[in-house]
Amino acid sequence: MKKYLPLFLLLFFATTAVSVAQSDNISPARKQAIDSLALEKVKDLSKYISIIGSKETQFSEANRVMDRAEELFAPGAEMGVSSLNRKEIAYYKVRRYFERLMALNYDRVNITWYDIHYISDLERQPDGRYVGVVTVYQRFEGTSLESGLNYRDTTKKDITIYVEKKQTQIAGRTIEFWDVMLGDIRVTETSA
Amino acid sequence: MRKIILSVLVLVLSLELAPGQGLYSPGSPKDDGRFAASTKQVNQFFRRFNAEESVDGSQRYYSGDALYRDRELRGKFISILFDNETSGISNELKREFMGEVLSEVMPQYINFHREGWFAEVSALFMYRGKRENVTLFLKIQPEGLGYEWVIDKVVFEPFKDIFSKPEGDAKGFLHPLSHELGFMNLRKAFQDSDTPEAFTPKEYQPDYLTLFLYEMKRGNIRFDNILDVKFHFFQINNWYFELNQFNRPGFNTGWLISNLVKLNTGDKETLLRYIYDQK
Repeated sequence: MKKYLPLFLLLFFATTAVSVAQSDNISPARKQAIDSLALEKVKDLSKYISIIGSKETQFSEANRVMDRAEELFAPGAEMGVSSLNRKEIAYYKVRRYFERLMALNYDRVNITWYDIHYISDLERQPDGRYVGVVTVYQRFEGTSLESGLNYRDTTKKDITIYVEKKQTQIAGRTIEFWDVMLGDIRVTETSA
Repeated sequence: MRKIILSVLVLVLSLELAPGQGLYSPGSPKDDGRFAASTKQVNQFFRRFNAEESVDGSQRYYSGDALYRDRELRGKFISILFDNETSGISNELKREFMGEVLSEVMPQYINFHREGWFAEVSALFMYRGKRENVTLFLKIQPEGLGYEWVIDKVVFEPFKDIFSKPEGDAKGFLHPLSHELGFMNLRKAFQDSDTPEAFTPKEYQPDYLTLFLYEMKRGNIRFDNILDVKFHFFQINNWYFELNQFNRPGFNTGWLISNLVKLNTGDKETLLRYIYDQK
């Protein structure tokens, strides 16, 4: 059954997207559909980050989830991280960021996401692709049992999304659909 | 096939309902209103300033929607777009500004693609082994099928120190009959003087951006980091305002107007010279 899964998902996304994707201009209705798709990808990412960060996740499972998470991103995507005390940005490749998250030295880690998001307009780039930014807020709680220390922060994540019209052949028919890939992410610690 | 669809749905639902994991999972912390109030993106500043989205930001208003650019909604939005904690913009000035922007006869809006706004980026670069502050000015321009940000100007102190044109008696010159000697005295300008800029016209201004790019191509300047970003707006007639990001506790946060100036004739040029630090 597993081998049918990717095909099914492709079909699912293509057919749901095709009704809203017929031209190069993005109408309000189409923008809303793309926003939903983008938010789904961001939700997936948030889920993966929570799993990778959790100390209950087995090493092999974390690696598998990292692979899945990496697939959400366009090649070369980076995370730019800054904190309240350090304005300068620390740059990490996405994989490296996940690996650092997995290796954090806490006995218990809990990553949750606030019930709020903001999605920008889509702007067209010189190459014809559209770009937007989705903003979400993450709460991180790390506990060290030995020292009894708790660390807690809230970060704002501004996530680049690239939106591109693609084509695929299904049963001899060419179906156009809008695809969303994640790009660079700016991570800023907030005062909340 | 039905079994496959059912299996996938069960899988997706079970992942969605995993407690405390993804966005909007059960157990997600609730925003107490601070993040909702915050102007989270520059994009949101544009939308709020023009009243092109709902109060909670979840709905984008387009031309034809009942509340699109609604005057009352705009008034409420703009009143929360000022930094009220550190900038000290007087209420009187805000009222005057809002009066003009919200005019019933000729309301004014800001536009992402229109000229009259630009970014100022404080960055660090390595220059000859030393970390140096560099200010870059970027603007939006049409390119290809869309738009791009481009570097328009640069301020870099080491360059400014290099070009300091002497004045008065200290200034060298090529005397007015130099042409009769076939400009043989250029040797003095280029070899004997360490201020060759003394021999340039009054209106001469060094092109720091070209120099900066040249040094970068030569490998003498290398990007290090970004320190800060702000925006300057001249899109509202006879007004200037500065947009800064405020990351602090409370409800008055995000991208907010931190400086507001009413412009008289000639003020814009003076202000631009000041901003570009190329007086």
